[in-house]
Amino acid sequence: MKLARLLILTGGIAIAISGAVPLLERIFADTKPAVQLNVKNAQPREVEDVTQNAIVRDYTLAWQAISTSLANNTLQPLNENFAGFALDKFTQRVKDQKQNGLTTRIIDHGHKVDAIFYSQDGAAIELKDTASIETQVLDGSTVIHSDQAQIHYYAVMTGAEDRWKVRVLESAAQ
Amino acid sequence: MRKVIYIGLVVALCWFAEDCACAAELHVPQNAVAGQPLSISTSGSGTLYLIGPGQVIKKEFKSGSVEIKGEELRNAGRWIAAVHGDGNSSQVFWVKPGKPGKLNFLARPSRVPVARPNVISGVTFVFDQYQNLILDPTPVNFKLEVGGSSSTKSVTSREGVAWINSASAPKAGAAQFVASVDDTSVARVVQQVAADPCERSFRMHVAGHSGDRTIVETDPIRDCSGNPVPDGTIVTFIQNDKTGKSTVDARIKKGTARAELPASDNATITVAAGVVLGNELHVGGRQ
Repeated sequence: MKLARLLILTGGIAIAISGAVPLLERIFADTKPAVQLNVKNAQPREVEDVTQNAIVRDYTLAWQAISTSLANNTLQPLNENFAGFALDKFTQRVKDQKQNGLTTRIIDHGHKVDAIFYSQDGAAIELKDTASIETQVLDGSTVIHSDQAQIHYYAVMTGAEDRWKVRVLESAAQ
Repeated sequence: MRKVIYIGLVVALCWFAEDCACAAELHVPQNAVAGQPLSISTSGSGTLYLIGPGQVIKKEFKSGSVEIKGEELRNAGRWIAAVHGDGNSSQVFWVKPGKPGKLNFLARPSRVPVARPNVISGVTFVFDQYQNLILDPTPVNFKLEVGGSSSTKSVTSREGVAWINSASAPKAGAAQFVASVDDTSVARVVQQVAADPCERSFRMHVAGHSGDRTIVETDPIRDCSGNPVPDGTIVTFIQNDKTGKSTVDARIKKGTARAELPASDNATITVAAGVVLGNELHVGGRQ
């Protein structure tokens, strides 16, 4: 009798966990990554407060778009937040992933960002980002790679119609 | 109970050992460059995945090395090499950008008055031919050329970007603003226009009379560098006499501006263009 109870209880817990894990994953996937911006080293122009807020907002959205696009192989979030070379590259990555049956799950633990260049006319800004990122690459449902690392990124953002868009996003070994 | 735990541990250990034994060997070079071929050595057989910042390469392999063509490896940055087959293994490797092959050059503004300090800005982002930002310091030459005279400045890029602020030349015309790295160059045109008229030479005179009208005309209007102020620029003539004030806005045409004002036996006429005042005339017997 005890054994039967134990089995039922174990089964119940297993069902609860199997339901909760994907739910938690989804919740974390949709959470905006934390971005801390330091503008003290920006040259040749100082970054205005309004621009700082806009950069934090739009860079955060850009990383959220990367997570969503690479996890679901969809292009729409990229089109809203990227332009130029960065858009071309991520679009190709998503297309290649789709073609090969891959997806990439990114768990973003946050970004420490330094503005290193802000153009005289206020049209372009370059950021140096130290990102803490957990990456899982899946072929179908099989995890073929998993790692957690601090990665340095260089991003160039330019002002678009109603927001700043990422034009260049490149990781660099340092 | 102890026995069950012991058996469980043994099973887990065996599982782990089996997994380690099956792990495929994977050797990726640590000095890969975008656009250059790459050789990855593996053991066993299976599928090799190369997941880069902007592309995915998937290849089936049977022991030995897998060759990746230069044109396939286009993206610089962090790559993941993963093997799935007889054994599973993955590694991170880095690809550096190639030689400079593309410049992204922003020149502002497109139209600027002559002889102004630090008024033209040029910003260049340096890329390789596959649009990878080159982060290593790279000398960028900026050249501003108008009407045979030119000024050149070399700036070394820092973290992918080089910029300058330059004065506009004293001569009006379409200036070629060129940024170049090795044999790659990009040109932009900055239209340098005459500045405001020069106060020293901004003069008018009475050119004649027509019925009950006095015709006044300026000398050829030039800026302080000697460039003719463009046709179409507004010049304002104001006449004050006992009947009141008469104002005429005239456009510069063929270098001079001309206006007809009511004839008066005692009037003062002034001329201005923007914030610059010209000479003052007294007409009507007491000039």
